Amino acid sequence: MTERAALTGDATDLATEPDGVLARRIAAATPGIDREAEAELCRRLAPRVRVFVLREVRNRAAAADLAQEVVLMTLERVRAGKLRDPDALAGFVLALCRQVALGRQRSFARRERLLERYGHILAPAEAPAPAPDRTRLLGCLERLSERERAVVLLSFFDDRDAEEVGAELGVSPANVRVIRYRSIARLRECLGVEAPP
Amino acid sequence: MSAGATATHPGLARLLAWWFADGGEAEQAGIGEHVLGCTACSAVLDAVAALGEQVRGLSSAGAVQAVVSGGFVRRLAADGVRVREYRVAHNGSVECSVGAADQVLVARLEAPLAGVQRLDLVADDVQGRGAERWDDIPFDAARGEVVFTPRIDDVRRLPAQTSRVRLLARDAPGVERLVGEYVFRHSPLAGE
Repeated sequence: MTERAALTGDATDLATEPDGVLARRIAAATPGIDREAEAELCRRLAPRVRVFVLREVRNRAAAADLAQEVVLMTLERVRAGKLRDPDALAGFVLALCRQVALGRQRSFARRERLLERYGHILAPAEAPAPAPDRTRLLGCLERLSERERAVVLLSFFDDRDAEEVGAELGVSPANVRVIRYRSIARLRECLGVEAPP
Repeated sequence: MSAGATATHPGLARLLAWWFADGGEAEQAGIGEHVLGCTACSAVLDAVAALGEQVRGLSSAGAVQAVVSGGFVRRLAADGVRVREYRVAHNGSVECSVGAADQVLVARLEAPLAGVQRLDLVADDVQGRGAERWDDIPFDAARGEVVFTPRIDDVRRLPAQTSRVRLLARDAPGVERLVGEYVFRHSPLAGE
């Protein structure tokens, strides 16, 4: 679909359009509402924001909660035309994530207000990635070398960075990064997870 | 960016560095922004998060046999995991068991590790039967200990028996040096 077609709302399938095109459509519709574009933008932003926030808070329930707030705030600002460069939507969302998740500048009242106004646009929360099969994962962990297994356990147990893991295992941080990457890639392959893009 | 297509994906290594908060601030911000604009990469990280959660669950259940660190054991205990720990002096022995409520079993082997380049761990019974070898284990020479967690269910199934664990340094190819030998006198069930 061309950008023009997307902006004029001629087409019905927006799934392949860039985020910026969706943002422009939403802003251009104001004071009306382009429900199709809003739903598509929320659908694709929700899992990305959830993962981003999960990295900060390391708790799925809290991440889902905060991510919903970030997506709704994004939508509110896009509708209000507060997005200067729609093609830089990710940077805009990044700033919002920091404000909401990192600064914890949360307000229950604001959240309720946002949900009341925009909540109907949010699609049902997309399920997070399924947990790997326990038995299969155990088998895959056993195939790792001792160093790889130790690095995986220490890295994941409470999400320690390479410097901390290295200090505990007597391994340099650079080496931890290499071992961590190699072992997680091997685990993913052993579990039959698709290779990343 | 679109739902599925992005000009340049950072690749798993850089995504993992971001996930574990390694790397400079600019790199971190750049990857973070990419993740927020890329459905495919956020899905990769979602799967990494799910993998991490399952690995944590298995670690906390004592299901993974591994060499770990003292800090890791402290964090397990701080998380409320019931840890049964045996500290064994250099070339020492210990009476040991595992209780029904124990979740993780830990052995701390004190050893003179200064100057050791590579260390292997060999576990067998006192007659040398059923040897199991863990090659090139990680260790912190400064702390002078090796911390390992056997699979707790395997130990639960053991009859009364005496096992031996040896730490072998391999400072040169083909040359082994005994660093320490430890004896575990296991009885089947700790009094509850």
